[in-house]
Amino acid sequence: MPVAEGMPVIAIYVCAVIAVYAALRVILQRNTMRKLPFLNVMSFAVTGIIALLLPHPITIAAAAAYFVGSTLESNAIASTWAGGIKKDE
Amino acid sequence: MVACTALAFIGMAAAILERDPFDKLISLSVMIGGIFPFIVDRGYLDVVTATALIAPLSTIFILMVCRRQQA
Amino acid sequence: MMVAGYAPEFLIGLAILLIGTTAAAFPRPKNYLVQLINLEIPGWGLLLVLLSYDEALALLTFGAVSVLSTFIYVRVMQKKEGGISG
Repeated sequence: MPVAEGMPVIAIYVCAVIAVYAALRVILQRNTMRKLPFLNVMSFAVTGIIALLLPHPITIAAAAAYFVGSTLESNAIASTWAGGIKKDE
Repeated sequence: MVACTALAFIGMAAAILERDPFDKLISLSVMIGGIFPFIVDRGYLDVVTATALIAPLSTIFILMVCRRQQA
Repeated sequence: MMVAGYAPEFLIGLAILLIGTTAAAFPRPKNYLVQLINLEIPGWGLLLVLLSYDEALALLTFGAVSVLSTFIYVRVMQKKEGGISG
């Protein structure tokens, strides 16, 4: 449940709209290399949702952990994709 | 929450329907991003922290097989 | 926010578990890699079903064991691929 104060509700709705729009762009994009920036955009939006969802001090640690993990995963996919193409030729 | 549900289902459908392994992994990442706010919503912040740090290890292990099959 | 007496993550996790199990049982390009990636989907669905019962230690243990079993499958697949090609 969002925080019932007015301003965080608007912020979390903006984050949710950005996340769904980025996910749709990721799915509808054909090129694999052009998918990865939109995956990063979706990851940032989900990090915002996690940080704004609960008014608790450890929430920022969870959001930071998700941010680090998602960025690491996306960079690993990009690195392996580029290295596979270079090794193939 | 409705947006996160939509995110999880969009990612699941795309992860099943894609053909290329890298596209499947990207769609799987979308689905995981839709699932994480539900764990936060129940209040398990330590579980979220641990799971977010060890979930990319699974993807990296699969990527080792991807590179081995493409080379 | 309850839907028909159940928590929403229970129903979403059940749907992801059933559809993901069907996708993992019948992979479209039939090789081990696609089956392993499809096997990740019901794992996260099962995590959502486990979330609707209040057991934090079960969630932690399930996440750790899921990554460990993925690592073991990757080792088996690499050994088998190496045995075929070399």
